[in-house]
Amino acid sequence: MLSIDTQLMPRTAQRATTRRFLLWLLPWSALLIFGLYGAGLCLVEGLNQTNMDNRFAFGLWIFLDLTVIALGAGAFFTGFLLYILKKSELKAVINSAVVIGFVCYSGAVAALLVDVGQPLRFWFTFWHPNVHSMLTEVTFCITCYLTVLFIEYVPIILKNRKLRQIPSFLVFEFELHKLMPVLAGVGTFLSFFHQGSLGGLYGVLRGRPFAFREGLAIWPSTFFLFILSAAAAGPAFILLTTWVVSKISGKQLVRPEVPRLLGRISGILLLPYVLLKSIDTLVWINSTSPARGFAAQQFYAWKPFGAWLLFAEIAVFGLFPALILLRRSLRQRTGWLVFASILVCLEIALNRFVLTIQTLALPTLPFDQFLSYFPSWQETATFLGVVAYGVVTYSLSFRYLTLFPQEKDLS
Amino acid sequence: MATKTKTARYGMSIDLDRCTGCGACMVACAVENNVPPLPAQATPRTGITWMRVYEISNGQAFPDSRAAFVPILCQQCGKETPCVAVCPQEAVQVDPATGIVDQMPQRCLGCRYCMTACPYHARYFNWWDPRWPPGMETTLNPDVAPRMRGVVEKCNFCHARLHSARERAAAEGRRDLKPGEYVPACAEACPAKAIVFGDLNDPASEVSQLARDATSFRILERLGTEPKIYYRTARPWVREAAAQPRKEPGNA
Amino acid sequence: MIGHFIFLGLFYAVLAVIGVTILLSLHRSFSDVRARRAEAIAWQSTFPDLPARERVCRHQFTGEFPDRICDRAFDCRECQTHAALIAKRASESTPAAEKAVVFGLDFPLDRFYHRGHAWAHPEPDGTVTVGLDALGERLVADPETIELPAVGTHIQTNGAAWRVRKRGANVRILSPLDGEVIETGAPENGWYLKVKPDGGQLDARPLLRGAEIRPWITREIERLQASLAPDGQIPGQLPTMADGGVPMDDIAAGYPGVDWDAVCSEIFLQA
Repeated sequence: MLSIDTQLMPRTAQRATTRRFLLWLLPWSALLIFGLYGAGLCLVEGLNQTNMDNRFAFGLWIFLDLTVIALGAGAFFTGFLLYILKKSELKAVINSAVVIGFVCYSGAVAALLVDVGQPLRFWFTFWHPNVHSMLTEVTFCITCYLTVLFIEYVPIILKNRKLRQIPSFLVFEFELHKLMPVLAGVGTFLSFFHQGSLGGLYGVLRGRPFAFREGLAIWPSTFFLFILSAAAAGPAFILLTTWVVSKISGKQLVRPEVPRLLGRISGILLLPYVLLKSIDTLVWINSTSPARGFAAQQFYAWKPFGAWLLFAEIAVFGLFPALILLRRSLRQRTGWLVFASILVCLEIALNRFVLTIQTLALPTLPFDQFLSYFPSWQETATFLGVVAYGVVTYSLSFRYLTLFPQEKDLS
Repeated sequence: MATKTKTARYGMSIDLDRCTGCGACMVACAVENNVPPLPAQATPRTGITWMRVYEISNGQAFPDSRAAFVPILCQQCGKETPCVAVCPQEAVQVDPATGIVDQMPQRCLGCRYCMTACPYHARYFNWWDPRWPPGMETTLNPDVAPRMRGVVEKCNFCHARLHSARERAAAEGRRDLKPGEYVPACAEACPAKAIVFGDLNDPASEVSQLARDATSFRILERLGTEPKIYYRTARPWVREAAAQPRKEPGNA
Repeated sequence: MIGHFIFLGLFYAVLAVIGVTILLSLHRSFSDVRARRAEAIAWQSTFPDLPARERVCRHQFTGEFPDRICDRAFDCRECQTHAALIAKRASESTPAAEKAVVFGLDFPLDRFYHRGHAWAHPEPDGTVTVGLDALGERLVADPETIELPAVGTHIQTNGAAWRVRKRGANVRILSPLDGEVIETGAPENGWYLKVKPDGGQLDARPLLRGAEIRPWITREIERLQASLAPDGQIPGQLPTMADGGVPMDDIAAGYPGVDWDAVCSEIFLQA
């Protein structure tokens, strides 16, 4: 037991044996390699390796990027609540949230680099920025925010049992931590804009009346709806991941009031989101879409994307979990908290799916057809590779770093 | 140093009653613009067709069934051009001197945002590296640069022909082009003379007059993008099938 | 145009803020190291990372509180609660015994004890002798190396006084006072350092003494037993010598399979 491995773990943590840990990592590493192969094919052979085409120019990857970035919003929002609104209970999960945010954003950026036709030209956006394009805004903010997340990740790494013995590391960590509210503020500012702009990507498409929305100045309503939904999803995803990690590791990681607080925050944001989304939908049905020559109902005449999707998005995965999370009696039960969090995360995925996949499936030209798309194995492999990367990075962080400071007092 | 030429707004009028669906415009476009032949795995949705002819029908059974053909190309949207607004690196711009929406493949990142933005589906992505079978390289047009894998391309009203026309005019000491001096390949190739090209800013030009005709309409006009391609037909069912959003139900 | 300025302006502003934050942290870190604040910072950083059981307030030992965790990193000098309780205690004086014997270990009561098991004894000539208490000695008995600071080194309260290496454990023994090292000793002498205290005399306020020793050490032994027991097993007695009751001189020898770095970190208050 006195392996180097043990000496790298936090002193107060009890973790699986080296052998069990390697067994855990094995399938994820295999998946990661498979993903690298799929991505490699796309980079070397070209995007013809995917099932995307001129009509479905965006596919699985963009849908997943948007979902994963929204779920990773827990990092900025927890930071905002902890360092700016001083909700100190969230110290229990902030480290985990930062790592999750980091893997979500770095994974999304990696997937984007494979998604574009000419990845080496990524810097063109910075050199010739089109300030009117939502995608420019997304690019700038996401790269900046990834930098911020990396800077927030470093102190967690520096406090590793062995690394912290280097005095200058501990001093640097201390000084950086004093300025954490500044970074949290910058992170909140950047996240506000890029979560919003991801929604703006679709809201500005005049050529896609299904997605097009009016709004405030240059920002369509989807800009604000995306921010609100991401802020609601972030705490729910942290609740969910904490519970999953706790179950897999067999350890109690946080005091019970922490997930209850996360659930309550999520519910408090989800309810107004559902309300605003309903209003937005009504405005779109009655005003925006008809003004552009399209009756909203016709968009739902295409199987399998019937009106049930809208009902599912607003009622089943939106209103229902919001009501659960706002009931104190239900929040006391872990089962309800986890169930509601799953619904919230699915709501995000559904919302992003509707905007990416459904938008492209629907015909715009009057003599056009409804289109279908299914990802190729290379696309699926790349996506699974990104997930595997996330699991491996998080597993390593959980084993060798202190992600849950309350754990040492709960064993 | 050089004074500007008159600001033109190049556009087209396409007579749907003359279009036979022969596809000569599609071939001429591909040949003029060095569009590569695609590998065997290509599908109708991964091919590159800057000019693409769609078939529409009146939905009636025989003997009342009727067909018409609608050539779709980049509509050169003049207002709040969707693709221009969304490109993150300004790789597509509206040329103020000609009104042509210019695509710069050298700057294109291949993000394909413009393709989701374009309601006319007039933009095409290079899913493969361009490859010409041995011998076919002799057919390449030396005036037009081929594009690389991973970038978007679209109709640019045969911009190379515009440059050639300007050079010829400059050689003759003129600044402005005479009508008919600059004609894209599709308009030139159409055997039915269904495509009329010219300067919409010039009230005397044929295209201007046709555009103002009562039988002219534009596709998806209510989106407000001010396309510069006008379609003409005397047949009401064609106008309805092409101009209005569909009334019939979906795939239920 | 104006959109261009606003957008790029904001972007560069954000980059500038990020850059300044990093540079400022680096700059402050350098000046901290130069001003020899690294030790104090290390302690401020380490203390919150210790489990709650290692941060118990000394006034819980003496029964003045049922349950209290220190929130000042054991710096009793500025603690109002401590000052109030000490004033109250002074009015109830108890006769001082010569030493406390806890589980067979001797703790002379003429000295002051640091929570990290170093002791400080003020000498008549104004210097302070620093050593390791009985429990500490048995944890790092027969060490591989002892690294004492050079004469003239300045040590700080809760900073590293000297280092001991034993069976993979790399222990920084925490200093009970601020001062300058004027002489170094050895385990055989019974002391490790002779220190000239800052301010002329020893500030013993953060150190334990008298009636606090027995409850404190009793608790320390319990914690030690818990750390020696493998997961899930009932903590056993410390291995004792043949005459019964007194722990072995070298406890590590009785537990060959245990992570000694973890055990030492638990008792000597390391991260």
